[in-house]
Amino acid sequence: MEYWKNENEPIQAFVKLFEAAMIDDELTSGLKKVNQLILFDYTEDGPNCCFWMDCRGGNLSVGPGKPSEEPDMTMSLSADDAHRSWSNKLNPVMAITRKKIRVKGSAVGLLKLAPKLKKVAEIYAVILKDLGWEDKILK
Amino acid sequence: MYGNTGKIIVVDLTTGKIEIASLPETDYLSYIGGSGLAARYFWERGNFQADPLSAEAMLIFMNGPFAGLKLSGASRSSVAGRSPLTGNWGDSSCGGYFAPELRYAGFDGIVLTGKAEKPSLLVIEDNAVCIESAEDYWGKGIESVNRSLKDKFGKTWRNLIIGPAGENQVKYALILNEAHHAFGRAGFGAVMGSKNLKAIVVKASTKTMTLADPEAFETLRKELNPRIKEALASDVMRVNGTAANLEGGVYSGDVPIRNFTSNFWQEMAESLTGSTLSEKYLTHGGACAYCTIACKRNVRITEGIFAIPDGPGPEYETIVSLGSLIGSMDLAAVCKAGRICNDLGLDTITTGATIAWAMEAFEKGDITAADTDGISLIWGDMETVIDVLIPAIAARTGKLGRLLADGSAAAARRIGKGSSDYTAHAKGLEVPAHDPRGGGHGLALTYAISPRGACHVAFPMLFMEMGACYYPEIGFEYELEPKTDENKAEAAVIAVALGSIENSACFCQFADREITIPEWVALFNTVAGYGWDIDAMMLAGKRVFYLKRLINYRFGRTAADDTLTPRMLEPARDGEPEGIAINLDAMKAAFYRLMEMDPIQGIPTQSALIACGMAEEFEHI
Repeated sequence: MEYWKNENEPIQAFVKLFEAAMIDDELTSGLKKVNQLILFDYTEDGPNCCFWMDCRGGNLSVGPGKPSEEPDMTMSLSADDAHRSWSNKLNPVMAITRKKIRVKGSAVGLLKLAPKLKKVAEIYAVILKDLGWEDKILK
Repeated sequence: MYGNTGKIIVVDLTTGKIEIASLPETDYLSYIGGSGLAARYFWERGNFQADPLSAEAMLIFMNGPFAGLKLSGASRSSVAGRSPLTGNWGDSSCGGYFAPELRYAGFDGIVLTGKAEKPSLLVIEDNAVCIESAEDYWGKGIESVNRSLKDKFGKTWRNLIIGPAGENQVKYALILNEAHHAFGRAGFGAVMGSKNLKAIVVKASTKTMTLADPEAFETLRKELNPRIKEALASDVMRVNGTAANLEGGVYSGDVPIRNFTSNFWQEMAESLTGSTLSEKYLTHGGACAYCTIACKRNVRITEGIFAIPDGPGPEYETIVSLGSLIGSMDLAAVCKAGRICNDLGLDTITTGATIAWAMEAFEKGDITAADTDGISLIWGDMETVIDVLIPAIAARTGKLGRLLADGSAAAARRIGKGSSDYTAHAKGLEVPAHDPRGGGHGLALTYAISPRGACHVAFPMLFMEMGACYYPEIGFEYELEPKTDENKAEAAVIAVALGSIENSACFCQFADREITIPEWVALFNTVAGYGWDIDAMMLAGKRVFYLKRLINYRFGRTAADDTLTPRMLEPARDGEPEGIAINLDAMKAAFYRLMEMDPIQGIPTQSALIACGMAEEFEHI
């Protein structure tokens, strides 16, 4: 991995990112519209390198590892590309076309989040700074 | 001949003479099918001096080699000829159900010239072709004529119908299949109307096709159909239609607002996006023949002044053109406006763009109440758009209807006062609902150099800049950044060849994206027996583009016509693309050089034509 020392680092950052996003006024409504249980799967970089986000039924929650239920959608990619993605430095369409991102299940809900990636990236930069990982912030 | 039938129906509507003609196999090998084959036919037999709405004008319907195959996206067809809207080469593509039925009846195309004495109907039943009276249908909307034709001939007969706008020769009148699927652009409904031809109906009694290698094709088909169906984009469009990502488009600045004066309108994004349409008004989806994507919409609005019964709903282009472009975010109104345009037979893109121009002109005082019979043109006033403007345009009634019925470029020329500066078109064809300042600067280049004018589906540049294309076999590995001119000319060279292949093959551009280049070659070879490798296929695409450029040159068009209006070249005023200028001249110069085209004449050099096997064509210019 180019950006991470171990498989725990990215999950720590990403879970904190979405904990913050879920209480952000601009992002909350968009996340609720996703209305899916999503598994973000980075296990190509380690067996526990994944997290889930549950946006179903108007409730929002996020956690490390795999969800207890079958996800509606699984998005598989490397932890480095996920870092680029949450930093708004990865074109998701291009990444899907070139098989850097593999999607299983319906991505209809996730489209609701796509226009908000800029805002997600702003929060992500703050989270990285709080974690003392300013060096990981992509300019 | 495999895949194709090699036969077309040639009708002189003046004399009533109907012939079954054969096309040489070499024409298919050189120009593929669809709009490419139509261009070849026009090049050899078309009247370059004829007014597009005169009896001498030629109207060509042409299938691609895959029409009728049970393959997603493969059964579209083209209509082509000289566009009455632009005076240039024009072609327009349509999905639906006409192409396979014509193919099963034994024909690759229909060529029409002349003018019938009375309103007429062309009837094709297998090899039997005749002309019948359509006087009972003349003056009626497409929905009712579709029902009448189904009652008269049977539900399994397929049709192409024009509305009153076509009869009245509104220069952006369309042709509809099954009252839902459109040959939308460039005004060929007006050409049909000028020939007194209200409709064409077709029925085949068998569904047999002879393929070059049926077993290999079947293996390929079984690989492609599930892939196309399960693709992420297909899934999204099946659920929320072609406007599924309208919200994303608003945030990137791709969605035009109020006659291209704005590139961001947050409230509108959610109001008009595909998921809102699905949640509020969708009754059921729909599909073209054999398509597994099924992006079509059917909608019903049960209450309010914009209530409409269950029927065809708007696609992305209609939603934006009759929505944000004219200052509305009322989705119900958009649905009704689109439905009325369909019934009257108007292209929603040019209708919206022309009304948007008129609204801005009224706001600026360049058009006054004296020009509009007292009607006020106010952004977002959908009652006036629906009840007054669209019917007036279709009927060519009143000062305003007559002014707007020839499109925005002609209207601006008539009004003057600098109003051409804020039209949005290339070569007279209005810019569709993708603003290149936000959508991608390469799109601006391909709008400008496209033979038919501003068109987002002539070439796959929109998809290339979005990131949805990756074709290492033909050198397309670019990671394009939409809002720059970097590598856009290089990408456009590939785009014009690939787009020409796709449109000549009459393939849906949504399904296309899932097909690799080697699979394209395999499709042509297993179906039509073209015997191509990748180079031969790409050369055919380039040849089609060159030929359309040569046709335009014979119409008097040069490189000077490869441009966009000042409105489209001014930097965006807001949103993500704010302040960024498009460097069209530099992209064009690089494109001409890479395509071996003369930068003044705008046509390929003699050596480029010879390299494409087009020495003979050079002799005619």
